[in-house]
Amino acid sequence: MESGQMNTRAPRQSILSMAGLLFLAVIVLVCLPAVGRAANPQDCQFCHDEPLYRVDFKKSIHANNGCTSCHTDITNIEKHRDGKEKPALVDCGNCHQDIAKEYRQNFHYLQEDFRCSDCHRNIHAIKKDDKKNIKLAIIGKCTECHGNADYTASGHGEAVLKGNPDAASCADCHGLHNTRVFHTSLEQYPAEAREFYTQKCKRCHADSAMMKRNDLSDKMVAYYESTYHGKVQELGYPAPVAGCADCHTKHNILPKDDPRSSINPANLEQNCGRCHSGFQPRFLSYKAHPDYRDREKYPSLYWTFLFMSGLLVGTLVFFWGHVILWWRKVYWDHHYMDKMGILPPSLTATGEGLQQVQRFSPRERIMHVLLILSFFTLVLTGFPLKYSEAAWSKIIVKLWGGAHMAGLIHRGAALLLIAIVAYVAFEACKFLFPKGVGSKGWLKRLFGPDSLFPNLKDLEDLKGMFKWYFNKGEAPKFDRWTYWEKFDFMAVFWGMFAIGGSGVLLWKPEWSSYIVPGWVMSVAALVHSEEALLAALFIFTVHFFNTHFIPSKFPMDRLIFTGTYRLEELKEQRPLEYERLVAEEKLDGLKRGYPGIPLKLISSTFGLASLLLGMFLTALIVWSILAV
Amino acid sequence: MPAALILILALAACAKPQEAPPPWKIIDASTLKAMMASGKVMSVFNTMSEIECLDHRIPGTKCLSCEEIENSAAGLPADRDQALVLYCESEGCYRSCRAADAAIHYGYKDVSILAGGMPAWKKAGYSLESVERIPRMPVVSVKAPELREMLAKSKDILLVDIRSEKSFQEGHIEGAVNIPLYQITRRYDEIPLDRTVVLIDDRGFRTFLAGSYLDRKGLKVMRLFAGMRGWQEMLAKKS
Repeated sequence: MESGQMNTRAPRQSILSMAGLLFLAVIVLVCLPAVGRAANPQDCQFCHDEPLYRVDFKKSIHANNGCTSCHTDITNIEKHRDGKEKPALVDCGNCHQDIAKEYRQNFHYLQEDFRCSDCHRNIHAIKKDDKKNIKLAIIGKCTECHGNADYTASGHGEAVLKGNPDAASCADCHGLHNTRVFHTSLEQYPAEAREFYTQKCKRCHADSAMMKRNDLSDKMVAYYESTYHGKVQELGYPAPVAGCADCHTKHNILPKDDPRSSINPANLEQNCGRCHSGFQPRFLSYKAHPDYRDREKYPSLYWTFLFMSGLLVGTLVFFWGHVILWWRKVYWDHHYMDKMGILPPSLTATGEGLQQVQRFSPRERIMHVLLILSFFTLVLTGFPLKYSEAAWSKIIVKLWGGAHMAGLIHRGAALLLIAIVAYVAFEACKFLFPKGVGSKGWLKRLFGPDSLFPNLKDLEDLKGMFKWYFNKGEAPKFDRWTYWEKFDFMAVFWGMFAIGGSGVLLWKPEWSSYIVPGWVMSVAALVHSEEALLAALFIFTVHFFNTHFIPSKFPMDRLIFTGTYRLEELKEQRPLEYERLVAEEKLDGLKRGYPGIPLKLISSTFGLASLLLGMFLTALIVWSILAV
Repeated sequence: MPAALILILALAACAKPQEAPPPWKIIDASTLKAMMASGKVMSVFNTMSEIECLDHRIPGTKCLSCEEIENSAAGLPADRDQALVLYCESEGCYRSCRAADAAIHYGYKDVSILAGGMPAWKKAGYSLESVERIPRMPVVSVKAPELREMLAKSKDILLVDIRSEKSFQEGHIEGAVNIPLYQITRRYDEIPLDRTVVLIDDRGFRTFLAGSYLDRKGLKVMRLFAGMRGWQEMLAKKS
């Protein structure tokens, strides 16, 4: 019983002592941090007791953060109170990492040391507002300092202020947190700026849905990219050509019919004049966004396009047909001859048949080499511009040393080609109107067997060839020039007329404005571009077939470079010419020695290199056409 | 053989003469950070004005404006052999190069400047410290043509040119007064409170902070966009 009493008293005592200990522990725990404790909001607000921190902060988006989650450097409230601990500049990037990363490129940060709270005022009271018009807020904020009336009086700015959610605010062009500045002097900007801002314009103005919502065309970007300005810009050389803002201005962008608009016809002289000088007023009729598919607005472009496309398709379809049928016939014939062990006579020539005779004089051979060199240069400097979106174009232009340099080299090669063709035209005149004879009998010479001008025999030969392709007749007997050689020759004259004429107009548009109006530039560019495509594809496919791929000549015919071939080959390939030369006793004068090894090697190398380069370029061109 | 020799000599003669390198060293941001962390005995100076330096500077560095350095060596360490690093806020080494030139002139042997200045430090991702932060106020900018119109119409405008004395003497807008930024803390009360002040500097980069500072002193301030460069471009275009 006593023990029972003692038992009940001991637990009560221990409970009390336990409670006492606990109480002590609580006091210590509560007071211990005071010795060197971190701050919690109540502590900060003991001194920082303005309504901003006590009331507004609690209603702000950051309310759930303690003061020291942003003001990280305060660890000891006593030290801070005594002025020994000051908070560091707040790094919002601790939470807002992506924005902080962008912000490191921001001009306002790098040069003016703006921090987040300098724009987001007051940062302690910031609230989330889902209904806020962000674009309006952006314009309001930027114009607090950049109070330029230009920005908001018209154009995009005005549209945003009126509530258009699509129109560009300051941030859409200049970037929001990564605002960049390109050390611009006020009215002219360097290449990087032009490139940067042109991409921004394109981003919205090529967006079909957005353009449709605002009753605007979504094709303007594509039309710009089809012009010289757009292509050079696409190639990566924005410095010498107009970007969007050069013509449309930066901030007060107005439609053409507004008299204040920079693209209003009354203001074009000043507008275009910022880059172009020394032009006649008709220069200004240039169309900066042409659509060759629009028959009403651009009829000359439309019909030119139809004509050039028709010419291209027609020529290539006919000649590819010619090539395929010819190849078929020759390959089959060679197959049967091979099967029966028969060799072509030119390969088994003996005696007289081995004698080399000249077909092309040294002058003709040199001119052909120069023609090849200038043609390849023109293709390699011109096609990257035509297909400026292609990756290979940018590589090639870089190799030339930039768009401007490529343009200069293009014009240089063009001069060479013009010189060659002019010389050939001169030689043609000498042939038709020889010294001492004059114009007597010139028609006979023009339609004669030595002329490169087509005549009735060529028509007969053409019909004969097609019959021969289908095993319906013997191969025609040719005189000096076959119809396909004549086509090659005459086509260059047509080509020079089209491509040379348009090229000269495009050479320096300001000079051309003395004779043609500015809108002709788009037509000239179309002719130039389409004719170049026709010429390149024709040479690299049809001409190369005639000279390299026809099975009787594969891998190449060195004749154009060495100038001579066997008498046997003359008899076989140009029987009528052979008979004529024998009859006129001119054969002896054409006898030559066998070409040396150096000449043969150089000829083969140069010829095969040209072939490979041509095939490579054809592949690139076809790829670009298909990829579009 | 002689032909080859002549060719080589000719090529050598045509070679471009090398520009003499500057007498100070050029170091990048990561090098400076490493140097400062290594505990090496050195002095690193921010050569901007006092208010700019106290507003933001590389942690652990001191403020000494380049004008003060050019005026006398008093603020620089007594030991001419000590390593000096000078930096400023432009990417093109305006002020720190002038200060470095002066330091070399005084006989300091180990002088370096920070390539790319404070912007390079920031781009490298390093932080700055702020001793006395100036709250940014919305300081309105005017472009040069606008300013010219305003000057023609109103006598109320006071042009305050905050560039150094030398730059001011080389050419300034007519009627401007010169209060170099490094003296602003001692001289701001020279500016009357009832005039509208337009701040002018070299390129327009420094007048924003100056304007925020003066706004807090109760002045009505605006700034010339692009500074004297903008003004000169406007004049060049007219002619």
